[in-house]
Amino acid sequence: MEVEPCENAVPTNTNPCEASESSSNADNKTHFRVCRFIMETGVKLGMHSVPVATACALYHRFFQSANLRVYEPYLVAMSAMYLAGKVEEQHLRTRDIINVCHRYLHRGSEPLELDSQFWELRDSIVQCELLILRRLNFHVSFQYPHKYLLHYLLSLKALLNRHAWARTPICETAWALLKDSYHSPLCVRHPPQHLALAVLYLALHSYGVEVPAGAVEWWQVFCEDITNSDIESIICELLQLYDMEAKCT
Amino acid sequence: MDRMRKIKRQLSLTLRGGNSGDKSLSETISSQDTAHSDSDAMSVRGSGSMRGAVRGSGSVRTGSSFSMHSLLQSYSSALRRPRSLGRSLSSYLNHTTRLEIVHEDVKMGSDGESDQASATSSDEVHSPVRVRLRNNPGRKISTEDINKRLSLPADIRLPDGYLEKFSLNSPMFDKPLSRRLRRVSLSEIGFGKLETYVKLDKLGEGTYATVYKGRSKLTDNLVALKEIRLEHEEGAPCTAIREVSLLKDLKHANIVTLHDIIHTQKSLTLVFEYLDKDLKQYLDDCGNCIHMHNVKLFLFQLLRGLNYCHRRKVLHRDLKPQNLLINERGELKLADFGLARAKSIPTKTYSNEVVTLWYRPPDILLGSTDYSTQIDMWGVGCIFYEMSTGRPLFPGSTVEEELHFIFKLLGTPTEETWPGITSNEEFISYNYPRYRPDCLQNHTPRLDSDGVDLLSKLLQFEGKKRISAEEAMRHPYFHSLGERVITLPDTTSIFALQDIQLEKEPGIRSSSLSDSVNSISRRQSLLF
Repeated sequence: MEVEPCENAVPTNTNPCEASESSSNADNKTHFRVCRFIMETGVKLGMHSVPVATACALYHRFFQSANLRVYEPYLVAMSAMYLAGKVEEQHLRTRDIINVCHRYLHRGSEPLELDSQFWELRDSIVQCELLILRRLNFHVSFQYPHKYLLHYLLSLKALLNRHAWARTPICETAWALLKDSYHSPLCVRHPPQHLALAVLYLALHSYGVEVPAGAVEWWQVFCEDITNSDIESIICELLQLYDMEAKCT
Repeated sequence: MDRMRKIKRQLSLTLRGGNSGDKSLSETISSQDTAHSDSDAMSVRGSGSMRGAVRGSGSVRTGSSFSMHSLLQSYSSALRRPRSLGRSLSSYLNHTTRLEIVHEDVKMGSDGESDQASATSSDEVHSPVRVRLRNNPGRKISTEDINKRLSLPADIRLPDGYLEKFSLNSPMFDKPLSRRLRRVSLSEIGFGKLETYVKLDKLGEGTYATVYKGRSKLTDNLVALKEIRLEHEEGAPCTAIREVSLLKDLKHANIVTLHDIIHTQKSLTLVFEYLDKDLKQYLDDCGNCIHMHNVKLFLFQLLRGLNYCHRRKVLHRDLKPQNLLINERGELKLADFGLARAKSIPTKTYSNEVVTLWYRPPDILLGSTDYSTQIDMWGVGCIFYEMSTGRPLFPGSTVEEELHFIFKLLGTPTEETWPGITSNEEFISYNYPRYRPDCLQNHTPRLDSDGVDLLSKLLQFEGKKRISAEEAMRHPYFHSLGERVITLPDTTSIFALQDIQLEKEPGIRSSSLSDSVNSISRRQSLLF
């Protein structure tokens, strides 16, 4: 209902195609910012990395089908964090979430009083949590690429020259790339194995480390159903994120 | 009331798909976002966060009634200038534009007050963030952790090839998925509606949930309705979230089926298939003396369901006779996955307080937090014993007593029987007498030697030595059931095989009698 009066206000002289592109571009910027919000407030709330990843995945899943114009992204993010805590057994209190998030969004302001406003905000988080559960049809636990990446890294380490391995921060880079990938909906669009392989591939290439070639490519050994173009498209999406960062800060 | 209406409207928007958003609106709103650095975005964020909130309570400082009217005003005022805002998208640090927007928002009166309040008072001491930190002095947040936004090493050089390719490719975006049609058609049939189910007797009540026996108008079948109250301030209980998210993926003949989920304003109702009784009642009803053939059938079904869970890295963590439901055919199904969870990273430690004491393995009782599927196998042993003898194996009421019962039967562990136990501080502090292991056979007169062997393999002190569910299904004890039970498809009941039949229980009492006697204490299994 809220959006209806605005429809008349669409500038008529704009090319509709252009408008939709810039709007989805803007959406992506918003999602990027909100995910960074999740990660930063997650650190402040002492969340472990898996619940943070869950919160981002919940957020992306939700907005896969929901419209950014209808739901307030920061509220969805707060509820996603709250829900992720429940799903991953690191229970967070709504009060902490509200206080930390309020501080993030209103830097330097006083904490909220425990007045009706505060309680309404808390009710919103709880209600929105239910909405997320409904939207996602209770599919709230995810397979994470992290464990695959760990496995791939260990196997690759055994395969590579020890000195080459020690000289280059392959592990750290792959891990960082994976962590950053949660800024985008990559995690809900690609299987965890593919994501893990792609970040490892990019990390190796970035440092010019070559894996001894066998009958098949090294990555085909780890994961049978991935193709070269899968890897490339994931890497391309990932690099967009770093471009996005420059635009968003 | 007003808030309720808002939620309702939002939910109905969700159901209708709500995808017909306004593009220029998004542009203006997001360009507002872009136009502000975090520090001065205060007032804008305050009003922005109200946009489409499930309840209209995003307004942080103003009165509780942020009305439709002002909401609309904020939209239209933002839209009055789509061109200039559009420009600010490209030059998002344009100073004049920024001031303009702030001014607009202040006039809108969302939280102009909060600006002043924060300017005049200091909150160094009262910041709840700090209070929280004081509670965990061990953990420090380095500013680096937070400021380092994207976390790549500084010296990384991205390959040129990719950068080129990347600049060529324009962003690709998937179309939002629509599940609207599917949902509508299911709803037309009657799924997801409370009216579809008739409440009959109340079966039990717990802190979060009430369980009713019910009947589905769609199929005329009996169902169990687990009604979870939501007025609780914590929102949906995490046991319910985990249970539903797990059960939706578990489809097996020996796991209780979740038919439907009904959302209402005040409650969440889970619709399960109805089974007549749980194993505890079954034991009671047949005078604590189950036919030994039926013991074998129940144990096999328990292992079958558990093997399925364990294959999918799901631990039940709360096995007990009350959580095993049995229908008239003799089909046994695992229920209550509230404490179960998908096991992801094996090194993970779980919360210690999970399994009911009587069925809790000794390594967990002695403080081990890093357990795997083996945690459930000890409980299987205890249940096996209870079915064979009619009484619980280790009915301890405290951890100390529970361990005492265990050691009295199996012998106090030594370095030989349990490597590393003599350096376990909790074990040392209890200072148990040195019991010699008792002969299991003497305690289970009705069990044959294969049965005793299986029982002893389940009741191993160390988790890694316990037999797994899969191995246990192939134990000689079950050879009399034939080969085919092992290879049945997941969703086929073992009673689909001709030669497998439930024996009549000689001592069974009429179930209608027991119904009236303990109808309330029944079916605690479905409660939290």
